[in-house]
Amino acid sequence: MLRVLLTALALLWLPLASLAQDLQSILQEHQAEVAKPSRSSVGPVLEALTASGLPGVPAFLNNWQDKNVHVREEDGLFFLVEETGDTVTLLDIATAEPVAEGVDPGTLDQIRPNGGVRRAISEALVQFQLSDPDITRRMEALDAISRNLDPDQLGPLQGSIANEPDPALKLRKQRLANYLIARFGETRDDRIEAIDALSDDLSVDGRAVLSQILTTRTEMAQEIPQDVNLARILDLPREEAYAMIAAQADLPPLLDENALRSTLEPHVENGRVGGIPVGQLATTEARLMAYDALAAQGTLPPRALPRQIDETLANWTIYEAYDEPETAITDAALAAQKGVQTRVAASQFADISLDALSLASIYFLAAIGLAITFGVMGVINMAHGEFIMMGAYTGYVVQQFVPNYTASLIVALPLAFLITFAAGVAMERLVIRWLYNRPLETLLATFGISIALQQLAKNIFGTQARPLTSPGWLDGAWQINDVISISYIRIAIFVLALLFLGLLLFILKKTRLGLEVRAVTQNPRMAASMGINPDKIKMMTFGLGSGIAGIAGVAIGLYAKVTSEMGADYIVQSFMTVVVGGVGNVWGTLAGAGLIGILQKGIEWFNPSNTLAAQTYMILFIILFIQFRPKGIVALKGRAAGD
Amino acid sequence: MSTPNRSFLAQNPSVLWFLGFLGLFTLLVTVFSEATGTGVISTSFVKTLGKILCLCLIAIAMDVVWGYCGILSLGHFAFFGIGGYAIGMWLMYARTEGIVADSLAAQAIPPTASELSDAVASQIFGVVGASEFPPIWAFAHSLPLQLLMVVLVPGLLALVFGWLAFRSRVTGVYLSILTQAMTLALSLWLFQNDSGLRGNNGLSGLQNIPGFEETPQALISIWFFWASAAALGLGYVLFAWVVSGKMGSVIRAIRDDEARVRFLGYHVESYKLFVFTLTAIVAGIAGALYYPQAGIINPAEIAPIASIYLAVWVAIGGRGRLYGAVLGTVFVTLASSWFTGGSAPDVNLGVYTIKWTDWWLVLLGVSFVAVTLFAPQGLGGLVDKLRRKA
Repeated sequence: MLRVLLTALALLWLPLASLAQDLQSILQEHQAEVAKPSRSSVGPVLEALTASGLPGVPAFLNNWQDKNVHVREEDGLFFLVEETGDTVTLLDIATAEPVAEGVDPGTLDQIRPNGGVRRAISEALVQFQLSDPDITRRMEALDAISRNLDPDQLGPLQGSIANEPDPALKLRKQRLANYLIARFGETRDDRIEAIDALSDDLSVDGRAVLSQILTTRTEMAQEIPQDVNLARILDLPREEAYAMIAAQADLPPLLDENALRSTLEPHVENGRVGGIPVGQLATTEARLMAYDALAAQGTLPPRALPRQIDETLANWTIYEAYDEPETAITDAALAAQKGVQTRVAASQFADISLDALSLASIYFLAAIGLAITFGVMGVINMAHGEFIMMGAYTGYVVQQFVPNYTASLIVALPLAFLITFAAGVAMERLVIRWLYNRPLETLLATFGISIALQQLAKNIFGTQARPLTSPGWLDGAWQINDVISISYIRIAIFVLALLFLGLLLFILKKTRLGLEVRAVTQNPRMAASMGINPDKIKMMTFGLGSGIAGIAGVAIGLYAKVTSEMGADYIVQSFMTVVVGGVGNVWGTLAGAGLIGILQKGIEWFNPSNTLAAQTYMILFIILFIQFRPKGIVALKGRAAGD
Repeated sequence: MSTPNRSFLAQNPSVLWFLGFLGLFTLLVTVFSEATGTGVISTSFVKTLGKILCLCLIAIAMDVVWGYCGILSLGHFAFFGIGGYAIGMWLMYARTEGIVADSLAAQAIPPTASELSDAVASQIFGVVGASEFPPIWAFAHSLPLQLLMVVLVPGLLALVFGWLAFRSRVTGVYLSILTQAMTLALSLWLFQNDSGLRGNNGLSGLQNIPGFEETPQALISIWFFWASAAALGLGYVLFAWVVSGKMGSVIRAIRDDEARVRFLGYHVESYKLFVFTLTAIVAGIAGALYYPQAGIINPAEIAPIASIYLAVWVAIGGRGRLYGAVLGTVFVTLASSWFTGGSAPDVNLGVYTIKWTDWWLVLLGVSFVAVTLFAPQGLGGLVDKLRRKA
């Protein structure tokens, strides 16, 4: 019972104890330093404030920093101030409650901390922000620290880690503390330990910390000093090396052609330089002779002779030294950097592979319709790209009427299929049917349709790109680690390609239509004599191929802009996909798309700055590939191939 | 086949007709041009006519390779462009060298050879951020060598490409796509800034002929017109000779049934390679004559679409007859410039006004389909019909 009473008593006492030590009284203890703060004296005040743990401290520091704190001249007490006409209202320093109204501003002094003090205050503030209940404030504080790593932030940061409720933010704080230790840690062992921990950190910040530890400066010396933490000895080209040494060691300068000419130019006398007529000075040798003649007269300083250059280069060493003096630390950082680079390379490889996969699925979608029509009819449809474009524009038009992006996509996909299916069937009936025996002319006739459709789209929709906005749930990217990421749209296109692969395989292998299509592909005459109507099958296949192009158009339009020329961008790649893969076979097209996608990304990996070169090399590779497998990767065998 | 003792011209009366027409046309243009005659025809129109003659030259080359030999090449405009680039390199180098030498001559000390070439290089390649000559410009200083390049580069490219393709029996639409891929690769490569040919800026100022700075463009344009007419005449005779006689018969037989010709013991690949390479060389020469009249060449000219348009001209003119290619080219290019130039009257339908600048391509596309479907012989077929009636 007594214990309960004592506990209750203690609990009662607790708030009283903190009341006793309120903000105003702490400030009064340091009255002079608060009222007239300076960079040298502000430290103890800030320490006392932060040590007190009072809730009003961060607000006070902010006000102090923003010059909102005033001191009353008569008793030296601190107040916040609110202006009310000619007079002011004093507010309590801790609670901001009004204390006195109608006070004459003349009885108050504003406290104006200078820049140095304000910086000290904001540093002290960071640790409050680090423990701020608002998570966005804490994130901002971390952003501020990571923007500009400062050794002073380490203490507050470490202090805030233990009480961090959000696990992700806690991890980030630990990482950041680790960066700070790696760069500014007290002891060598602390730093090495922190650096070692960085070896599995793929983030840009982590890599930046390592390269900041490993910054170098270029120096030169005849004898490399012992206390230098040597990074590497440079092997520069002769002229460059000599020029650097000459600039530092006050040797005769090296004369390049420009310098030689500009040096000689002021010394033209009576059409001669150093006794040599100007007309003869069109070679470097003649100019050197003129220079040497002038140097012999003493008009110009002697130039560096090749022998002198050799000697100088033999005596001097140009090297890079680490700014960090400790070898152990740079070694650890180098090792960590190597580990990071290996991991980054592996991740980049995975990232490129994902890119290649998504590119391959786009090519597959764009080309599969073409492959079917080409396989069944031996007809190249140059207007295939325009069917892709029609599909994309269908998506755009649907979005004008259906504002919900998800719903509009659900409407647009089948609608695009229907429209392009109809267009394909119409084209087959009107044009292609009459040209079955003349494949080259089909190519040209469909090209005519292609330019007409392209221009028609331009006339209807204008030349500027139209947006096909993807629904919100397709925004963003799936971030696997700091290097590997893939946007959801690309994943969706990949899934769509898989769906179509499955659907086509099902139609071709499991349905009556598919059976007949395969029969016509393999041998149209034999199929006809078996009671299949090749005319109808060809029409249906052409419609199917065109319809798939329409759906591909919607998918492509989601991540690329919709223009009248978008089809033309894909047509050559689609042809090559079909030709490389082998005609008339879904798996062949898949293989072709995979090969082209992987190849293009692979070449880009070697030379990422140059997409054009990558495409050029890829096309050259394909031209060579056709030499060795003229029928593509998956070639039809038997009578079908003997055309 | 005709009896061997009849002369080549007697076998091919169309050659004489064509040469006569061409001569008359050249004479008329000369008489009416600004430089040598009354000035009824403006200098820019003389240039346009000269360019059309060059396009006719590449069109008859296309006709030989496609209409006679059955190879639908979608790459001949690439050879045309290479020819243009080859001559353009010399034109640009020589002209820039002249300008740079003039500006350096004002200096107190004459420039060294390497200073001169550095200044020329930074003048030419400044737009792509380079200041040194890439290796492919090694011969740019010399007109004879660069003229050799006009012939050699398209010829060798066609030889290697054709050898690879024909050897592995790539035929039909596959070959068309392969040639298209080659063209695309070339134009993509040229689009890069570090290709050494000024990326998408291309080569410009080609209408200024080094050494003839003082000569008025009116005179230069008529010179190039004569040269183009002469080249077209010579090309016509050359191709008429190639497609006549025994070789011509083999070439046409390859178009009609390649396998049968092979079984008869002919080396089909050699014939195809010969035709492909020869037409590529002629295309290169046509390009070398065309671009000094156009004044600028850039990679967009080589895009695959240009080669397809070439096929369109030939198809509309009528394949398998050389004058058909010329007819088609003249007809389509003139119609195209008439419709897109804004001189065609708009058609007011009440609810909608058809502006031909917008609708010309639609018309071209549709009429192209119509020609393929209903008049596979093209305009040349009409001529044949008229002749048969007469």
